[in-house]
Amino acid sequence: MAGNKKIGRKDLVKLLEKWSQGFTVFAPSRENGEVLMREWDGKDSGFLEWYRNSTQPPKDVVLPPMEKMFAFHKEKDGYRIEEPPPQQQQRRRLLFGIRPCDARALTIVDLPFKEGYEDPYYLARRQGTLLVGLSCTRPYDSCFCTSVGGGPSDASGVDVLLTGTGDGYLAEAATPAGGELLDSAGLEDASPADEAGAAEAKKAALAGITRKIDSEGLKDRLLSCFEDREFWEKAAAKCLSCGVCTFFCPTCYCFDINDEMVGEQGARFKSWDSCAFSVYTQMPVENPRLEKWRRVRQKVCHKFEFYPMNFGVMGCVGCGRCIRLCPVNWDITRVLESLPPAAES
Amino acid sequence: MADIDIEQKLRQEARGLLEQGKVDRILGYEAGSLKFTTTPLVTADKDDTERLVVNPFVVNNLSAFLTGMEGKTGIVAKGCDSRSIVSLMQDRKVARENLVILGIPCPGLIDVRKVEVLLGKERDELEDISREGDKVTVTAAGKKTELPLAKVLFDNCLACDMPTPEEYDVLLGEPQSPVADPAASRAGIEELEAMSPEQRWEFWKGEFSRCTRCYACRNACPACFCQRCFVEETDPQWVLPVPRWQDNLIFQLIRTIHVAGRCTDCGNCERACPAHIPLRSLSKKMYDMVDELFHYRAGMDRNPEPLLTAYEASEAED
Amino acid sequence: MATAEFEPKILAFCCNWCSYAGADLAGVSRMQYPPNVRIIRVMCSGRVSPELVVKALRSGADGVVVLGCHIGDCHYISGNHRTKKRMAILRGLLSYMGVDPRRVRLEWVSASEGDRFAQVVTEVTREIKELGPNRLFTDQGQEKR
Repeated sequence: MAGNKKIGRKDLVKLLEKWSQGFTVFAPSRENGEVLMREWDGKDSGFLEWYRNSTQPPKDVVLPPMEKMFAFHKEKDGYRIEEPPPQQQQRRRLLFGIRPCDARALTIVDLPFKEGYEDPYYLARRQGTLLVGLSCTRPYDSCFCTSVGGGPSDASGVDVLLTGTGDGYLAEAATPAGGELLDSAGLEDASPADEAGAAEAKKAALAGITRKIDSEGLKDRLLSCFEDREFWEKAAAKCLSCGVCTFFCPTCYCFDINDEMVGEQGARFKSWDSCAFSVYTQMPVENPRLEKWRRVRQKVCHKFEFYPMNFGVMGCVGCGRCIRLCPVNWDITRVLESLPPAAES
Repeated sequence: MADIDIEQKLRQEARGLLEQGKVDRILGYEAGSLKFTTTPLVTADKDDTERLVVNPFVVNNLSAFLTGMEGKTGIVAKGCDSRSIVSLMQDRKVARENLVILGIPCPGLIDVRKVEVLLGKERDELEDISREGDKVTVTAAGKKTELPLAKVLFDNCLACDMPTPEEYDVLLGEPQSPVADPAASRAGIEELEAMSPEQRWEFWKGEFSRCTRCYACRNACPACFCQRCFVEETDPQWVLPVPRWQDNLIFQLIRTIHVAGRCTDCGNCERACPAHIPLRSLSKKMYDMVDELFHYRAGMDRNPEPLLTAYEASEAED
Repeated sequence: MATAEFEPKILAFCCNWCSYAGADLAGVSRMQYPPNVRIIRVMCSGRVSPELVVKALRSGADGVVVLGCHIGDCHYISGNHRTKKRMAILRGLLSYMGVDPRRVRLEWVSASEGDRFAQVVTEVTREIKELGPNRLFTDQGQEKR
């Protein structure tokens, strides 16, 4: 395709250095067996050898596990807010190496933060972050992106998509911002050989996706079995009601707000919350999801029924983290496969 | 007796229990959806018992599901799990007459993460892991590598006090001796104790900066059965639900103290943590401290009152 | 702040029946002891949960001392036995995590031991002064919470 660029494997570090002049670059790093997107240390490109996907999804760059919203001070006649809502990040950020599933997930998470009420905290971080994606080469056995509308080289969420060609990367601009980024990087144009190499890699990655489900009609099947308590109790039996699946899910976005005061000084915090927690819907008088099976039902329906109803897209990108990380190997693909067929209307 | 024979016997026993209406459900393990994993099987359907498995990957401590379960349960229990059951009985969270314990003597479970590190490959890139006696053969990319069992067992298995359940209704398999390597099981603790207090604090500060407060550790723990956990209290609020390292550290510190005298070092917490925080370096330290101070290890004997609530009149003199 | 001598803030949990009365006696007898200790009365030292002690440290207390009845004298018979076991574990774990165990103390003081109360407070204050301020939970640049 015209306009595609080529990045030599040896030139990648130089390119990241160049980008570091205008952006804070985030790249995969390993800490105690956990892979996280962290500020690039300025020299390492070794992650390209071992990187498959991060443990925590890159959503933690735009929707961090915790955020101080503002500080406040108690005065005689009320409260004085000390910090206004966040302004645009001073320095733009570049997320290097985000996988297509996680990038697509951000476009899905955008929806509730943009439609109706525009969340300034989320949007400030999101708009200040450029995404340079990396096509997958070694999908996990838990990946099922192709079953939920994505793919290992899907460019629908990134600004730039890099695909390995053997001796380097094909760089494709997916947005105007991505195009600008590539144009200003002084890269050579991609050759037909580069294009071909990338096409081969994309084909091979697709073949590497082994986990598949039929996601056609999931919405209707879920609608039909909503009242089937027996089904949901069985599905929920081994769930621990911890927050692993939701916290490590790139499309989950629920958060909690808490205030803390010490003396006259206070602060308001935003932090990740999980619908799996038993106290998630705890209210003074009652808890409508006290029983575990209701929470498990809610999670599955939210992703595959309510989200499509409200936003026209499934709330899952098939990254497989929930399957990999769940302490009891609760597997959403298994639960979806076991759904009874939709009732005849 | 090979695992496969134990499996057959287990399936028969479990089926029988359901058929005869002796239990309302079976709680065991079935093949997981990922290689070298198992997943809990909770079923009232006798045909489902065909899916029960016994292998080196039956890691979950199923007793964590017992608190609050109504009716009678047939539960598959390794040695460590049976101790957790006994501890729950001591806490009066579980009634012995409501359980049929299907005991599985356990020679230790294989920590796939250790295999991954030793082979430099990830779990889904391995073709086979099989154990024969004290050798483990791992097949990857067509090549076989032999590893000593002690190198790939979970750390808590290396300190196992009870590989063969002592509280059971049916014992399936020959009693096992532990692959004891208590030094290896305490390696993390020894390393920490060799540091200065300031270094130790920095270490834990660093570890708990990675905690997201997912509560996998707490929910996987059989000893954590409170309906309302202290972290959920808002008046007074001990810790904010915000994952600041200070609050994360305090959460785990207090949780460890709360389970003191009831923790059996089953290792479920460390296994559950998605951030690989070395929780056993805390819980095992606490476990050994309780042993040193009070000569008490949880779940070894169903008779005593729980340690921290027990009071003997004979203790009246200091 | 750099030039003033460090005056520690120490929280003391005193049980109503013994140590609080002992503290009272010390006061009534006009015994001199450092003013660094803030007393919180509880009905029994067994009421002092590890959360209370740790929250005190988290909130900036430089030291915490739990005072109860001597073993065998607890008004509720067994409360202080629980305290003893609990505090042993708490101090052990705190020490293991890197907190100087001298910041958290357990002492038995009876209702008639006004002098012992004063002595304990004096000793604890001196020791904590030597240990210095508690900066355990301070994040860089943030106020102590």
